[in-house]
Amino acid sequence: MIPILLQYLCALIVPLFFLGLTNRVKAVWAGRKGAPLVQPYYDIFRLLRKGEVVSTHTSFIFQIAPAISVAAGVTSFLFLPFASGESIFSFDGDIFFLLYVFGIARFMLILSALDTGSSFEGMGASREATFALFVEVGFVLLMGTLVLATGEYSLARILTAFRAHGEITSIVRILFVVALFLMVLAEGSRVPVDDPNTHLELTMIHEVMILDNAGPGLAFYQYAIALKMFFFAFLIAHLCIPFSLSSVVGILLFVLVIGCVFVGVGIVESVIARARLSHVPQFLFLIAALSSIAFALLAISLRGGIL
Amino acid sequence: MESVCSGILILFLSGCCALFLSGRKKGISLAIGFGLAQFFLLPQSFYVLLSGKVLESSLQFSEPIGCVSLRLDALSALFLIIIAVGSLLTSVYSIGYLRNYKGSENNISTYYFFLGFLAASMASVVIVQNAVFFLFVWELMSLSSFFLVSFDHQRDETRKTAVYYLVAMQVSAAFLFLAFGLVSSITNSFDFSSFGEVFQNNSSHGVIAGVLFFLGFGVKAGFFPMHTWLPRAHPTAPSGVSALMSGVMIKTGIYGILRVISLGGMQSKVFAYGIITIGLLTALYGIANASVQKDFKRILAFSSIENIGIIGIALGVGLLGLTYNNSIVTLLGFAGVLLHTFNHFTFKSLLFYSVGIVYQETHTRNIEYCGGLVKQLPRTAILSFLGFVAISGMPPLSGFVGEFLIYLGIIKSISIENFALSITAVVALIGMTLTGAIALLTFTKTFGIVFLGSPRVQSEQRISEEHHRLELLVTLVLAVPIVVLGIVPFFFIPLLTQMIVIVHPALDEVALQYFNYSVKYISIAAIIFMVIVLGAVLLRRVLLLKKSVRSFKTWDCGYQGGSSRLQYSGSSFIQLFQTLLSPVVPQKKIVVQEESIFPSSMRFESHTYDFFERHLLQPIMQLINTLLDKFSWIQSGKLQQYILYGLLFLISVLIWIWCSL
Repeated sequence: MIPILLQYLCALIVPLFFLGLTNRVKAVWAGRKGAPLVQPYYDIFRLLRKGEVVSTHTSFIFQIAPAISVAAGVTSFLFLPFASGESIFSFDGDIFFLLYVFGIARFMLILSALDTGSSFEGMGASREATFALFVEVGFVLLMGTLVLATGEYSLARILTAFRAHGEITSIVRILFVVALFLMVLAEGSRVPVDDPNTHLELTMIHEVMILDNAGPGLAFYQYAIALKMFFFAFLIAHLCIPFSLSSVVGILLFVLVIGCVFVGVGIVESVIARARLSHVPQFLFLIAALSSIAFALLAISLRGGIL
Repeated sequence: MESVCSGILILFLSGCCALFLSGRKKGISLAIGFGLAQFFLLPQSFYVLLSGKVLESSLQFSEPIGCVSLRLDALSALFLIIIAVGSLLTSVYSIGYLRNYKGSENNISTYYFFLGFLAASMASVVIVQNAVFFLFVWELMSLSSFFLVSFDHQRDETRKTAVYYLVAMQVSAAFLFLAFGLVSSITNSFDFSSFGEVFQNNSSHGVIAGVLFFLGFGVKAGFFPMHTWLPRAHPTAPSGVSALMSGVMIKTGIYGILRVISLGGMQSKVFAYGIITIGLLTALYGIANASVQKDFKRILAFSSIENIGIIGIALGVGLLGLTYNNSIVTLLGFAGVLLHTFNHFTFKSLLFYSVGIVYQETHTRNIEYCGGLVKQLPRTAILSFLGFVAISGMPPLSGFVGEFLIYLGIIKSISIENFALSITAVVALIGMTLTGAIALLTFTKTFGIVFLGSPRVQSEQRISEEHHRLELLVTLVLAVPIVVLGIVPFFFIPLLTQMIVIVHPALDEVALQYFNYSVKYISIAAIIFMVIVLGAVLLRRVLLLKKSVRSFKTWDCGYQGGSSRLQYSGSSFIQLFQTLLSPVVPQKKIVVQEESIFPSSMRFESHTYDFFERHLLQPIMQLINTLLDKFSWIQSGKLQQYILYGLLFLISVLIWIWCSL
């Protein structure tokens, strides 16, 4: 079998391709031919070759924030279980470590936005910080439900154990997949939470916070977003496929599911518009709501009835 | 044990020295005295923590009090270390802080004297094991802190706040009097070691005593319904005292609750669920209110309430583990309590110290008038950055380790067998995550608006850190444990386990192994994360080596208008959150606008207030005031009336004696 480090490196390289897939779906839906599927790689390399313009108002925060975002994405992949069911690193409670690693990336992004002293970026920072409330609560509720379902406390073991459980009803599985898909949209700053195409006041949450970044810094941020989306798509694939991944067929099916998730993101972006700002918390709250329904259903089914 | 007592005596005497010396020698003598006391207090504390032995001694008083036993066990040792180090740091900080004080020298003398008194009384609280003596030093602690809070007593507002604080402390003492009275009357002894029998078998006396103890210590700690004194007292006090009160003094309330638990009290399911609920309410209420404040010391005060709430949640988790006989959950819960207590001391003191430097330079506590201070106060900015990241619980700093242990304890309680426990655990999980997310909002706002961006108000004086080297040194000392405990916490595990054994004697090997393993892995994860961050930073540097890096102004869509007031302010940052949560953090808006055809002058003010205080506490206080006003004729001020009272009393005593003969 391919050694786990190689799988980890592959996982780090692939997300940009899926981002290209999403962009291609949006283009085809709109009747255009669309950019090549590997366009995001060209974009990232182009940005890495450029210099930067650093605002005079900024400080050390602005310099280190992109690095922390990318480091958070790269660290989170260490905990994902690959083909053999093991991750590079796992321990009890690592789900909270992941939550807080994403948290510090968000913390530094918000501070970097406030650092520039621009009102656009302050607006984005304020919205990002407020919406983070709902997303984090939803994520934790989802993880709590998975802990109840499997009795394991570490991400890798939860995902592999969930696959082994046959008696979890399909409804619960569907609820998890939908909740995680909403998280892909939320954390990847996609419609209906945010519009990745524009930097205008009305749609800005994430795109505007990186307005003053250029060159390698911007490349880091774009890569970090792709990593985050891939992380949640990975979780969806693990929860969708009810059997083990050791064979080639398993891995192909896995990649197919992740591809479907990204295609789904593209379709959602082409079909609906970004939600009104006051409706975004309601949308984000759906994640927590779906997780709590899953929790209730699981608790009842595992205990064989209410009480 | 004798050296601990001498240490406490030295703390008190250093305060007295300050009365007799003059000028700068006051502060220096206090700092030297406190430093000397460390050599008496710290070695014994570390010895007790590492070896698990207990130091005992006793003082002999005449009959009503009798023999007062003093005891330094691992639990007292942690709090003694916090008290000793915190007092020393505050005393050194005060030298710098009061350097430019232009008021009377009497104020400074009183300040240093009561600082010594406070340090000595706090240290005594954690070693005394006799009810009467405990209440005596508890009251001394409240009184000395009252005098410290009223440092700037020429101002009306300070006097009112100080009296409010004193009344709150008397409420705490009243509950403790009741509690100790109840327990002592049942056991016929004042010594703590005999209190265990009251709490056995879940007797009703035990439950009432537990509730009274929790209320008494809870007022001091700042739990939810009894927290209203904290956001008034902590901003009013000078920064060094705020740090001492917030970082050290409210922890004596936590010490009291832990001591009662170690004697056998509060160990029932009702208490566990109750404490976890109160902890959740406190944490959420505290941080929601912290997020909407404009005064940075009030933000920190409300954040202390939030952290006490988190400690309460951890306490509840530990008690749940105790009552459901899950030793891993117990260990994780109590480890979380102790570690978070220590962590909160480090980062809250650091934040109050650095915010004190900002206040001294900008002369304002309003964050809306600050901005861009990272350029003018760079070292303060870096140290506060560490403090704010730690207090939000972010890895790889120490705040995360404490919160991680609490989270792990909570999810370890989620199990299929016990439905009520699982539901409570999930609610606690949601509560803690929500607290953490609102904390992220609050502290990015505070650090961002105060230090980052560009200055919102042009000040005439130059703002610089040159004159604050001493304060910066003290703040730097506190940054060390924050970083070290975050990256290599497993060095401190042996210290923690001894303390937990005091509270939960039946600790088993499996739980300890699990605990060690968790802490070790957290440390490895933090180190890996740091390495990857450093790698990414280096990568960016390398990529930019030969490229052009231009400095230019922030992108402003072509034309900004030239005002730094166009930046996002604190109120704008928080506005979305505040509208979403308006029942909890209500806002009062005052808009004054002239009606005219063309735009004319307009005035807008918005204030957020504490809804619990305004809508629940104040009406009750109003009611009590109105009732008691009806009796105000009793104290008319006329001497003749008071003589009449004396005469009536004598006559009634004579009649009573005559009737009983």
